[in-house]
Amino acid sequence: MNVGDKLILRKSNVSDFFSSLQGEMQLIAPKKRFAGDVVFDVVNSPEEIVWEYGHDIYPPGKRYIFPHYEDMFSYRRGEQISIDVAAEAPKQAIVAIRSCDVTAVRFQERFFSTPIVDPFYKARAENTVLFSLVCNEPPKKECFCICCDGGPYLETGFDVQLTDLGDRFLYEIGSEKGLRASEPRQQYLEPSSEQDIAERKRIELHADSLFQTASYIAKAIIYITSDEVPDEVWEELGSTCFRCAACTNLCPICTCYTVDDRPEPDGSFTRCRSWDSCQYAGFTREASGHNPRPTFGSRVKRRFYHKASFQYIMRDGRHGCVGCGRCVSSCLTKLDLPSVVKKIRRAMHDYIEPKSRPTAFLQ
Amino acid sequence: MSTEVKTPTLTGAKPRNMWGVTGVPTGNLYVPMPAVIEKIIVETPDTKTFRLRLEDPKHAEWFTWEPGQFVELSVFGAGEAPIGFASSPLERSWFELTIVNRGKVTGLMHELKEGDRVGIRGPLGNCWPLEAIKGKDILIISGGCGLAPLRPAILYILANRQDYGEFWLLYGARTPADINYKYDLVEWEKRDDFHVLQTVDVGDESWTGNVGVVTTLLDQVKLDAANAVALTCGPPIMIKFATLALVKMGFSEDRVVTSLERYMKCGVGKCGHCCVNHVYLCTEGPVFTYAQLQEFPETRA
Amino acid sequence: MNDKPTTCGFCSCGCALYVEPRKSGLGIAGLCPSTTHPVSTGRLCIKGWNATASLVRMDRLQTPLVRKGDELQPASWEEAFAFTVDALKRVMDASGPESVGIIGSAKTTNEECYSLVKFARSILCTPNLDGACRFYDASLIPALLDTVGVAASQVDVESLANAGSMLIVGANVMEQLAHIGSRIQDAVENGCNVVAADPRKSRLAPQARLFLHPKPGSDLTWVRALLKTIFDRKLYVDTAPQMPGFEELRASLDDVVMGVLPQVCGIEPDAIAEAAALLAEKKPCVVMFGLGVLQQQDSTLLVKALVDVALLLGGSVMPLRGQNNAQGACDMGVLRGYLPGYQPIDSAEARAKWEAAWGCSISPQAGLSAVDMVQGGVKALLVFGENVALSAPNTERTLSALENLDFLAVSDLYLTETAQLADVVFPACSFLEKDGTFTSIGRRVQRVRKMIDPVGQSKSDLEIIAGLASAFGKQITADPAAVMAEIAANVPMYAHCSYEQFETGWGEPWRAEAATSRLAPIPATDLQPEDPDYPYQLIASRINFHTQTGTMASRCGILTREYPESVVELNPSDAEKLKLRPGRVVQVSSKAGSLTRRVAVSDAVPQGCVHVPHYFGGDSANMLADYVCDPVSGVPIYKGLPVKIEAVS
Repeated sequence: MNVGDKLILRKSNVSDFFSSLQGEMQLIAPKKRFAGDVVFDVVNSPEEIVWEYGHDIYPPGKRYIFPHYEDMFSYRRGEQISIDVAAEAPKQAIVAIRSCDVTAVRFQERFFSTPIVDPFYKARAENTVLFSLVCNEPPKKECFCICCDGGPYLETGFDVQLTDLGDRFLYEIGSEKGLRASEPRQQYLEPSSEQDIAERKRIELHADSLFQTASYIAKAIIYITSDEVPDEVWEELGSTCFRCAACTNLCPICTCYTVDDRPEPDGSFTRCRSWDSCQYAGFTREASGHNPRPTFGSRVKRRFYHKASFQYIMRDGRHGCVGCGRCVSSCLTKLDLPSVVKKIRRAMHDYIEPKSRPTAFLQ
Repeated sequence: MSTEVKTPTLTGAKPRNMWGVTGVPTGNLYVPMPAVIEKIIVETPDTKTFRLRLEDPKHAEWFTWEPGQFVELSVFGAGEAPIGFASSPLERSWFELTIVNRGKVTGLMHELKEGDRVGIRGPLGNCWPLEAIKGKDILIISGGCGLAPLRPAILYILANRQDYGEFWLLYGARTPADINYKYDLVEWEKRDDFHVLQTVDVGDESWTGNVGVVTTLLDQVKLDAANAVALTCGPPIMIKFATLALVKMGFSEDRVVTSLERYMKCGVGKCGHCCVNHVYLCTEGPVFTYAQLQEFPETRA
Repeated sequence: MNDKPTTCGFCSCGCALYVEPRKSGLGIAGLCPSTTHPVSTGRLCIKGWNATASLVRMDRLQTPLVRKGDELQPASWEEAFAFTVDALKRVMDASGPESVGIIGSAKTTNEECYSLVKFARSILCTPNLDGACRFYDASLIPALLDTVGVAASQVDVESLANAGSMLIVGANVMEQLAHIGSRIQDAVENGCNVVAADPRKSRLAPQARLFLHPKPGSDLTWVRALLKTIFDRKLYVDTAPQMPGFEELRASLDDVVMGVLPQVCGIEPDAIAEAAALLAEKKPCVVMFGLGVLQQQDSTLLVKALVDVALLLGGSVMPLRGQNNAQGACDMGVLRGYLPGYQPIDSAEARAKWEAAWGCSISPQAGLSAVDMVQGGVKALLVFGENVALSAPNTERTLSALENLDFLAVSDLYLTETAQLADVVFPACSFLEKDGTFTSIGRRVQRVRKMIDPVGQSKSDLEIIAGLASAFGKQITADPAAVMAEIAANVPMYAHCSYEQFETGWGEPWRAEAATSRLAPIPATDLQPEDPDYPYQLIASRINFHTQTGTMASRCGILTREYPESVVELNPSDAEKLKLRPGRVVQVSSKAGSLTRRVAVSDAVPQGCVHVPHYFGGDSANMLADYVCDPVSGVPIYKGLPVKIEAVS
């Protein structure tokens, strides 16, 4: 068994396979909730896994490695200060996670280890293995991963990738971590045939053809990189923002956080970090009251500068969007990436003559 | 891809920022090192200078820093705030932080007494380019509490006075009561190898010195801009006007060096608060040349 | 994470959210919106995302408190209940049940509201029962019951996007009710004509085809002009002339003079004509109004006028009520003069029905309103989940009246300004810690589910009411499902509700169609005379980061960081005239009180006005108001108050 192997996991073996895996680590998988909602959670048995689900709005890859609220350490005040690092990093497999979320986890792994290593992220990431599930068709109409190299299937970057072929899964091993999670369960895996690979190829082509949302992000990257988008355009975009910060909370790539010292009932304090957002005015406001990003427009600009500028591509290795569509479904207005990219492109047509369009950075 | 920490060209020396390189003595870069408040100096009605000593000798031995760097100060029960070093870098057994009371963390810090404990993570950020500018004339412009992060540089230059040319300090405060380090300024004004000019925005009965914003003092400065470097720190509006005036005086854009201030949480380039465009102030700053700042449209405001 | 969602308790939109409890210690570890819920649809506002985590905090009340001497001291529940019952019995024995008052809250669940009503009417037998809505939006109750016959929004949130035109008056809806704001944006994208009216330019501006900026307090004048225009230009729907009251309404508008509009309202007559044309152009029309209308002088009449606009144009009304269970609390009868289901207490038939249901005798008196009660109309007062010290007008006078009560019991999450004055304080659970239902602005009765264990010894208000009843030797069940069964059996609009049914889906709104709608005549009223000593007019608005008196939201780090300090906003020309630079500290004072704020300048504020956003706790713009109320509903006038501004050195 090697990295790169393409195997078959029969659906009749899925339950046994994941029961066996559950002996080594907790399984996190899409779980049925109320009235058709599906949210990832720790499952008690593989039977609870909902294999056919749309999309979990609460990004599982981010949530289980860079939690929404994470305790960093606790301390007690007194004659001496005693600090107790209570970093939790359970061994876990995230099962049936979508390709876009895997891409986002890779992005965050790189961010949290470059150039300085974040110890909490590292500990959790090392103990996490991803069993991603290829989207045989876009799970939601908001999906646009195909425009952002986020999915619907992965060539690289996965630990184990599953493709639903009807009565079985194509089981691809993509990393050492994936290999280690597979080896003890060899008895449930068998070699794949050429037809299986051909069927997989057919599914890819079929899935690619079904996307309804498009985002030609490249052109927006050019405009944003060269800072050519006029402030009025950003302010107009910002004028409708509700400042809810769902776009950054639910973005599987966004990494910003804030830190609070919370008092506990036993008299100790916990230093806790939780997701924060560049869309809040308070994100940059200094103690003196001065705010370097005082307007809605400047904050929307900030978000898209981070998502779609060559400066950040250079830093992060890719642009900051995997096309999961969560900003589309969670924004109270229309400040999601595809809409803003479109508005920027349209607005730039109004602002500049073709001959003066910025091309400097391409030269 | 650009994974290394960029250093400002003029700064020359790599910032001695030890995160992720040799590891931190606490084993986790988010866990602070306990420090004891040894002395509290009241500077102004809302500003105090705290002299701190790291409690664990192992921590103290590991802990070296450069002028211009800063620490994340944990006030237990309130949280963390980034504070620049304010004392002489030559003093190894203790260091000082000058803190204005205007927030939850700094507010609780001001209630602490000598002997109380706080937490320190650092040193963080890059530093003033003191090696690279040897032999140059130095002009320091600072406003209000912006003198604090420049004080280590001043003390270092004064201790190595022979390595530098003409040395000027322009310092502006809001009122005479808001002047920091009055005890230092008295001593510095006595020196004939250090030109110190002070001004206040609003004077009082006892004030006989200059009145007006700090840039009005530039007329009195006699320097060859071609062989000089300016270090500035203060409120954003002061930095802006000082920089414009300096450029007008003939300073080239890479000879105007400034230290920026931003809201900050982690200090290690993760939390995202201090980003200016694509640069994390906490790891790649806070010290930049004016030439570098041109690359960051967000600092134009 | 809990498998079932709960309903957000921060506003009346009623989003469903999933909560992940923290493994140990206080707090939560995460939350996310439901994607299938018709309102939340995968989205939450800034309060939903952030304030939920701050509900569980160390400064929550941990135990009951009982006043011993000058101090509130921790006590057991038995002690607190016995102390309360003794005190109430003492007061009632001396001065009768009329000397006791109860103020309920629009934040508690339907089950708690219903049980509170039952406790007040059948155990204490006091006529003095009212809701905190008296300080906010109670003026819509008589106005809507008299016209459309239903004291609720006729529209639900999810269908707003289909509106053809909207008239939005006196509501900072984009900041206060984000999901409704979002649907307004959707409607505009679908071509809806939005006409907004607010003295201040709010964040609604980008959505509005026409934004009127009437002078504060002058709404009735221009709404009458709008009605008159609809008549004169025959913009009303064909069925309108058959509606009862059509001719009376037309006749009542005979004295409308368009020429006074610029001087009285600061609005040109052409703008009114344009507004009428825009509203009539596309159907259906939705008329929305918020506290800007509901807390104005003659608010009941003004609401009726806005209802008339909607009815004439064949549209519907949507009062923008802020509190999470504003609708349910009124449905349950936490309302002066009404029994549950809006059955008037002066109706012998209604009383007989409830006397039979509860096995008691109900006083036919309407009783005192919450405003009267906090002014000292009673000797003993029980307040459930409302910080009346800040929500009532004239804070100084309110505080001294509360101090002078013989007995005050308060149930709340925190030691609020009101609770600090109490003789007994009951630590109540937040919505995360209990079961029950809230009724959303769209009339959907939705389950609140227990997500985490109660903080300290806190109990739900239902358990507290049950405990008090039991200390009186009576019985009220603490089982929310049983209470809902009783509600369903007795309140017709809740007949479809049961805890079994709630498990099957998000449920349907209760039916809001009334038999016949009636147009109300809108006579002119006297304008507030100008007072040369108080030359400015106050605009007090609600902001994104705040709910009510700030008991909950002020404890959230992200929200307070967003809005660290309240300011007073002035038009730049006024600031120049008064020689006030931004940052200068000023005192804003009215005849009733004063508050101190820093100055900020903003073009959004019209000349001659000052804008004071409601702030997180501490002092409130309400302290500038006095006990001057709308004559029909008794809601205090908080809007358009005359004030003056002085620099403070």
